[in-house]
Amino acid sequence: MRHLFKNKKISAIISVVPSQEYRFDDEYPLLKLTEEKAKRFKKTIGVDRHRIAPQNVCSSDLCLYGLQQLLAGGTLERKEIGALLFVSQTPDYFAPPTSNVIHGKLGLGNDVICMDINQGCAGFTLGLMQAFMLLDISGLTKVILLNGETGSKQVDRANRISYPLIGDAGSVTIVERCENVNPIYMDVKNDGSRHQAIMIPAGAYRTPATPETLKLTEVEEGVRLSQQHVRMDGAAVFNFTMEDVPLQIQDILGMSGDTIESIEYFLFHQPNAFILKQMADKMRIPHTKLPNNIVGLYGNSSSVTIPLNITHNYPEPMLRGKHRVCVCGFGVGLTWISMVMDLGPLETCKIVEYEPA
Amino acid sequence: MDTTLFYEQLKQILDTEEVKPENVLKDLETWDSLAILSVMAMADAQFGVVIKAEEMRSLVTVADLANLIRTKKK
Repeated sequence: MRHLFKNKKISAIISVVPSQEYRFDDEYPLLKLTEEKAKRFKKTIGVDRHRIAPQNVCSSDLCLYGLQQLLAGGTLERKEIGALLFVSQTPDYFAPPTSNVIHGKLGLGNDVICMDINQGCAGFTLGLMQAFMLLDISGLTKVILLNGETGSKQVDRANRISYPLIGDAGSVTIVERCENVNPIYMDVKNDGSRHQAIMIPAGAYRTPATPETLKLTEVEEGVRLSQQHVRMDGAAVFNFTMEDVPLQIQDILGMSGDTIESIEYFLFHQPNAFILKQMADKMRIPHTKLPNNIVGLYGNSSSVTIPLNITHNYPEPMLRGKHRVCVCGFGVGLTWISMVMDLGPLETCKIVEYEPA
Repeated sequence: MDTTLFYEQLKQILDTEEVKPENVLKDLETWDSLAILSVMAMADAQFGVVIKAEEMRSLVTVADLANLIRTKKK
């Protein structure tokens, strides 16, 4: 579904990462990797270090911390918050929505809209779509888009294809109305027929949790998981990233009248360096314009990788001026969403480390 | 298909000196999920061939892989 959003902008982004950092060089013995294989894996996939939240820290804690930083710093006032949008696959509870929990912790007024969206890697872009739409409510000043993921809780430590790549993080993006700005182009696509390519098979209501679903099995050497862990068909996902996503990028550039040259930064979701390099080469996008470093620095935190990408790689440019960007989130669903927009100057663009109260 | 290039690329991916057509893929020491993705990427980048996930799963030997790429390249 293609659409043009008018008179909307992102005014600030803050990313929050746990202070606990772990290095692949220390972790790989537990993954039954020889030094040789570990070197190969590190070089090809691009893993190096990742941030993992302690057991008692949830996605919402990371997001709330970011929100409190923005309030304390004067970028945001409580009374400006018109809507809280929480995008995550790791909510605090099945009920109530986590956005309501955050609403309560902030002591916000009754007229604030609270909404949870269950989405993963396309969750920043899907969240932006919803934020833009919420801004059509006339009394609503600012939408607070919260992306949070503690994916480390959905993966077993002895899973060599998943654990080294996972990362926990949260982000807060302020979205508001604006005059005299270029439109935002967006294309949203879904294919539920391939929903099994990335999934957690048990633990909700289709296959409820039992002692059986918690049992860990080694599906191949060094890959241990239970039915309540994320499982991925790597080859099917690879086909998806190499076929479907490039087509959408071609479309969205056509729609906005942009070219690879006119786009300054391609801000893609960060599954791993290998996939991103392959995608960039296929689309003939220079690697300098399409960063692929976030997994190696923080891990893959699903919908938070795009805000992390922006706040880690381009804080200065984003604070200083306006930039033509192509944003792309793709993954679980399968869902793929691309956007072309101007981004910046932002009032805030930074990463902070979570500090418990 | 440039068979020499194919074997050269495969040896690089598998980090090995020798690869024979009759080798069974899953018995190769370095045949893991990373190797599978690297082969799919190589087929696309070097030969312009898209190998689907199901097709990868149906391959048994190195010769099967070579033949698949050769056939799809036409």
